[in-house]
Amino acid sequence: MPGIIGPDEVRRVSASALELKGADGVEVLFMHEWGGLTRFASSSIHQSTFREDTGIRVRAIAGDRIGVAASNDFSPDGARRAADSALEMANVVAPDPMFPGLAPPAQVPDTQAFDEATSSTTPHARAEAVAQLVAQSPEGFTAAGAFETLASEVAVANSEGQFLWAPATQASISTVMTGPDHASGFAEVFARSAAEIDPAAVGARAGTKASASRAPRDLDAGRFTVVLEPSAVSTIVGFLAWIGFGGRVLAEGRSCFSGKEGQRVGAEAVTIYDDATAAGTLGLPFDFEGVPRSRVDLIRDGVFVDGVYDLRTAKQAGKATTGHALPPPNPEGPFPLNLFMEPGKATLEEMIASTERGLLVTRFHYSNIVHPVESTITGMTRDGTFWIEDGEVAYPVKNFRFTQSIIEALTNTESIGRDTELASEFFFSASRVPALKIASFKFSGRSDH
Amino acid sequence: MLGVARQAVEAAKAAGADYADGRVVAEESESITVRNQQMEGIDRSSSEGIGIRVLVNGYWGFAGTARTEPEEIDRTAHLAVEIARAASRLPMEPVHLAEVEPATGTWHSPMLEDPFNVPLEEKVALLMEATRRMQTVDGLAFAEGGIDLHKTRIHLATSEGTAIEQTSVHSGAGIEATAIGEGELQRRSFPNSFRGHISAAGWEHIAKLGLIEEAERTATEAVQLLKAKECPSEVTTLVLDSGQVELQIHESIGHPVELDRVLGMEEAYAGSSFVRPEDRGSLRYASPLVSITADATLPGGLGSFGWDDEGVPAQSVPIIVDGLFENFISSRETASVLGLPSSGAMRADGWANFPLIRMTNISIEPREGSLADLIGDTKDGVFMATNTSWSIDDHRVNFQFGCEIAWRIKDGRLAEMYRNPNYTGITTEFWGSCDAVGGREDWTLWGTPNCGKGQPGQTARVGHGAAPARFRGVQLGVRG
Repeated sequence: MPGIIGPDEVRRVSASALELKGADGVEVLFMHEWGGLTRFASSSIHQSTFREDTGIRVRAIAGDRIGVAASNDFSPDGARRAADSALEMANVVAPDPMFPGLAPPAQVPDTQAFDEATSSTTPHARAEAVAQLVAQSPEGFTAAGAFETLASEVAVANSEGQFLWAPATQASISTVMTGPDHASGFAEVFARSAAEIDPAAVGARAGTKASASRAPRDLDAGRFTVVLEPSAVSTIVGFLAWIGFGGRVLAEGRSCFSGKEGQRVGAEAVTIYDDATAAGTLGLPFDFEGVPRSRVDLIRDGVFVDGVYDLRTAKQAGKATTGHALPPPNPEGPFPLNLFMEPGKATLEEMIASTERGLLVTRFHYSNIVHPVESTITGMTRDGTFWIEDGEVAYPVKNFRFTQSIIEALTNTESIGRDTELASEFFFSASRVPALKIASFKFSGRSDH
Repeated sequence: MLGVARQAVEAAKAAGADYADGRVVAEESESITVRNQQMEGIDRSSSEGIGIRVLVNGYWGFAGTARTEPEEIDRTAHLAVEIARAASRLPMEPVHLAEVEPATGTWHSPMLEDPFNVPLEEKVALLMEATRRMQTVDGLAFAEGGIDLHKTRIHLATSEGTAIEQTSVHSGAGIEATAIGEGELQRRSFPNSFRGHISAAGWEHIAKLGLIEEAERTATEAVQLLKAKECPSEVTTLVLDSGQVELQIHESIGHPVELDRVLGMEEAYAGSSFVRPEDRGSLRYASPLVSITADATLPGGLGSFGWDDEGVPAQSVPIIVDGLFENFISSRETASVLGLPSSGAMRADGWANFPLIRMTNISIEPREGSLADLIGDTKDGVFMATNTSWSIDDHRVNFQFGCEIAWRIKDGRLAEMYRNPNYTGITTEFWGSCDAVGGREDWTLWGTPNCGKGQPGQTARVGHGAAPARFRGVQLGVRG
């Protein structure tokens, strides 16, 4: 099994790029990732994989001209070739007048984010965990999903003397259980280590949900009070990262929060922040240009505070970087990768009990932007959507399409769950979010299952 | 590199594999972005490694590594076998592979001028001039241009005797104009959204796109959209341009006919499909005007190749014939479940991933008439162009797609412009309502370089030939 390369070797290899002659500055971003993913469907393991890769991404500066070259050849020669290529590009391209310089030296705390056992999880151990999950399938149902264990190390070195290195692990398991009459249930867990995951509990949760969702009824679309479980809430919060919180989209008037600093964008109980260093998320203590990360309040008590910045957008906006750079060249600008929504006091059961008529949504699927400035997105429900009547889950319903402004949904938030989960839809990094009860959530269409 | 692939196969066989393939992949890319005549980014990247796939007692195992020295190949091959043995923890019907003749040979995508050899200065100058032209339009916030180049070289060896080498070069470019004001953000792109038009071709493809010539019109439309009316919410006739038909094919035909999805192998991620194995030859998928073909032999297609990543030769497969569903796209494993030969659609993202069924070039067959003819033949309706947004359910039934721009069609002519257009529908009802498909003159083979699928997530480069088309009784204008 592969292991950590370590800061000494990273320094040695990076040195051959940092010594690049003719450059006014050099930055080396190093990434090393290894891990396995055991994928299952129809209650059998059908695609089980393992991979290890390294990456070196060199940014060369010539005046205010910049070139970037990347390679997975982690060797002094590979780093030198990438640096030469980056400088060649920098020397012929147009200048970037907003280039802010490279990150100065700084320290970050050891986040203790690396779990040796997770990094060396065997395929047999993953298969055993999957078997425990699958065993929870109700009679006549099958399970599909994946169990992944990943290890990584990231380092940033630059010619200003900055050198930061951090290792990390993560484990995740997810499943969709399906059965007769369109029955479908979902559960998922993200964690720092494989030991934190109870596969049987995940399977039991999905199985219970799947059993309850059998034979969903037709219901016309419309505006309903909804109780969104954390997986569904992660879609809403995740899209705000995309269309709202980035310093570049904010500064350029492309964000749904542009010009809304200090204005109400949600109910008073809504607080959203980003904190890569907090417990309960899977963040690195520094960003991809070597700036330390810390907590950034984005929405506080329902009021929009500010977004996140990297060095370039901070210079653009006349602010300080918050440590949210993505790997260069990154024309999209900074991005919050470790969002939190502060929990409330209600249990999921209390949210349901306080709902006269409404919908309980397990998760959203394949969501996308309809109107970025209005924060309107669309997507489908899947894997367990239920009608609530007189404070109880009455029966399953067929899947709906929603088309909804996120800011309106946050404003209409009536209740926030006390328990949070790390959750994610498709494209985004996982956010730690509670369940939400929201009034007048718009469902614009429906499907056949 | 074939020697390395063969060594991997031998090592896997020695470790106990019943079947093995070794796939050495080297990729290079170059990307340039200019905005308002300033550099946004320029980068090159390269990646090389090997993926080793094995069958042991009917169970798959896969391992990939970036290091190709002999001891690492041997270690990785043993790991792949160990992974396959672990998979037997949950019993299943052993994997059986549809027969295929072992293949040998080389293949190269067509190319006149290697885009990687074109001086950087020339590439940057093209984008600078295109963005300069866009910036001559008053009221424009951002003028962007991008060029993307990609080269993939694959060496594949299998334990059945296949030994092939193939190289693909893809070139693409596009411009995008953004106007912002009064709570609106409007974009126009050319030739298509999401970084333009990408083709399996060389620099000659980019040189003839007309980025500079179309810059001013593109920017003008973006600014005009700020003051345009909202697309009305109504049920009416909808005409789509070729670029939006591309997206419609991709999401509502291409993905639903992937046989792994149909068999539940993608259930937990992007979902399954409403199409069932028994629907071949009986499902009325679309109106009789709609014929869809998956053709991996089309010159210029991002989904073209000599052989897929299982060594199955490229082929042209009728998917929908005159509206009737006929064939899936498949792999050797999934085809054998139905007792069929593979359609040759297995491809992996780079060296580090297990091959999956991926679209080749899934295209609508052209019928008759130009886009102008199609609009001219429409008494009342809406014409939408250029995709911005896509969403479809986990069975590929209910969809909602957005476009950059629309116009009212009144008595065969384009009338007022609409902003924020979108439409929604049910897949077979929508395709069943198609009553006109344009001809060859406005048929374009588009490239989609960002098709996501699988766990770990993979990105595929696929193609879609599309003509403008007309649909009746479509719900437009969904609002939040």
